[in-house]
Amino acid sequence: MITKKVSKKDIRKLLGTWNQECNVIVPSRVDGVVGMAAWDNQDISFLDWYRNTVIPPKSCFLPKSEVMMSFKKNENGYNLEVPTNEHWQVIFGVRPCDARANAIIDHVFAVTYDDYYYISKRRNTLLVGLSCTNPYDSCFCTSSNIDPTESEYVDLMFTDIGDDFVIEDFTGGGKALLNMSNTLKKVTKADIDKIKEVKAASVSKIKKTVDTENADRKLGSLFNDTDYWERISAKCISCGICTFLCPTCFCFDINDEMIRKQGARYRGWDSCSFRSYTRMPMENPREEKWRRVRQRVCHKFEFFPMNLGINACVGCGRCIRSCPVNWDITQVIAGLPAEAGIKSGK
Amino acid sequence: MIITQIKQRRKELDRDKNVYVPHMVLVDKIIEETPTVRTIHFHFKDPELNKEFTFEAGQFAELSIFGVGEATFCISSSPTRNDHWECGINRVGLVTAALHRLGVGAEIGFRGPYGNHFPLDIMAGKNLVFVGGGIGLAPLRSLIWNVLDNRDKYDKIAIIYGARSPGDLCFKYDLDTWEADQSLNTIITVDKGDAMWKGREGFVSEALRDAAPSSRNAVAVVCGPPVMIRSTFPVLEQLGFMPDQVITTLEKRMKCGIGKCGRCNIGNLYVCRDGPVFSYAQIKGFISDEY
Ligand code: SF4
Ligand code: SF4
Ligand code: FES
Repeated sequence: MITKKVSKKDIRKLLGTWNQECNVIVPSRVDGVVGMAAWDNQDISFLDWYRNTVIPPKSCFLPKSEVMMSFKKNENGYNLEVPTNEHWQVIFGVRPCDARANAIIDHVFAVTYDDYYYISKRRNTLLVGLSCTNPYDSCFCTSSNIDPTESEYVDLMFTDIGDDFVIEDFTGGGKALLNMSNTLKKVTKADIDKIKEVKAASVSKIKKTVDTENADRKLGSLFNDTDYWERISAKCISCGICTFLCPTCFCFDINDEMIRKQGARYRGWDSCSFRSYTRMPMENPREEKWRRVRQRVCHKFEFFPMNLGINACVGCGRCIRSCPVNWDITQVIAGLPAEAGIKSGK
Repeated sequence: MIITQIKQRRKELDRDKNVYVPHMVLVDKIIEETPTVRTIHFHFKDPELNKEFTFEAGQFAELSIFGVGEATFCISSSPTRNDHWECGINRVGLVTAALHRLGVGAEIGFRGPYGNHFPLDIMAGKNLVFVGGGIGLAPLRSLIWNVLDNRDKYDKIAIIYGARSPGDLCFKYDLDTWEADQSLNTIITVDKGDAMWKGREGFVSEALRDAAPSSRNAVAVVCGPPVMIRSTFPVLEQLGFMPDQVITTLEKRMKCGIGKCGRCNIGNLYVCRDGPVFSYAQIKGFISDEY
């Protein structure tokens, strides 16, 4: 529901109020790379330069690497210690594509077994969405049925209408955040008209589109076409960047370190682009590059629809922007032969 | 749509529910099966768990050596014998090498049991054909002992097992018992014998073809290296086994064991969560040949 707005010059005050109760996370440049990181309680310049992060907000729940447990050996055996995640965090500036992506991987980490490390961070998080008014050329969220100014997967949604942000609240957590602040103003009839204008303009700024209709069926019938996949994967150098930066990629590795009698078990991002990912002592089911590329494309557009009824590509465009060899997933989807899905009769 | 169900999911959690934290187990006994395979017997350090822990034949666990890492093993003892548990360990990598350096009394991590299990309900009242190769006897042995401990529930039983050489035969003490059991038709074969070997030579698939067990009212369970499995399926088909009468376990590289880390998929299925036990009918329906 739209009830409140906040003036841009009061954003620092608003975030400051939240920062007293929870950790406020904002778009930040860390070592030259834009990701979500703790706010310094001061700088709000990101409001001017922020378009979307390079590292997706999944890193707040599934960090690049994290300690799962530490262990110490003593005379009675091993003593295990698990880090706790008690603090609350508010992530400010989540884009609608990434909010949907979070909802998708929420499911992965909660189905059958709860993943303690992911869920303990996720459930203590409130998401504040920010409408896109300046999308990249490579963004194609509308092709995944995402409106760049709307999200059902955030607690609050901010939309820039000039001097103010109009705020929509969706959850009890979102309302609680609003109630903490005294810098908010009431929205007027004029604001409501303005927001409609802004929304329409934002949607029209997304120029890149790809027809994802029946992509799962088309991929299904091309699945065993080795020539096709060899051609598609030819220029990929298996660097894994596209998967690390994808907001719906969730694969991880688990490894131990130990020095003398103390050590830790870590987990960190892994990627289906790597040979080692599936390698077994005697054989490797995805030794060939075309199989690994096929895995990535089909996981997003075929396996996810089979299991969850939804494409796992949200159209954020990160994999297109960051690929060193300009591999473009939309070209693959667009290039699927139209008759492919029909032939299979699935 | 499912996406509305997953929206804003917040769950109650406490530290006890962290499935990644292993239970501590203590090694009771070590049996050197072959130069590269050993069986470790273990029990839980927590006396309550020793009483409560249950599993089904075919399920697996993640064993860990702290500081080295985790690796995946099927539980090779039978669920009918819950006084201790066993895993067969083939030395092929870092963790398995560390497990081979262990002595009795060592403390290691255990999480599980994970995965699905052999369909004992379907097997009841049927003739059973167990086909195993090498270390593949580990999951099969759990099932065989489970069946033998309820012998009257099943009809005729054939066990066909082989390894590369006599020195590579695992669980020889079990093989001796089964060969001596008149209610079983046990056939042991090696690809190539040595000077001492008086038994059968040849591949498992050939031994199966010669034994020619009837497919009528039968279920075949096949466990072994992929080459053996691939050569066994056609023989079973020739013998008249329908794809849903043939059951196997698949092996993939695993890390989490619970459908999170992503690497063990075959198409839309995760071997750790949807398997490791599959029927040949299911395998034939897989999207992908990546197994
Ligand atoms: S970023 Fe590009 S080159 Fe690297 S793995 Fe992905 S598609 Fe291949
Ligand atoms: S596949 Fe590429 S465009 Fe799609 S969600 Fe992942 S990073 Fe974004
Ligand atoms: S082992 Fe991690 S998903 Fe199967």
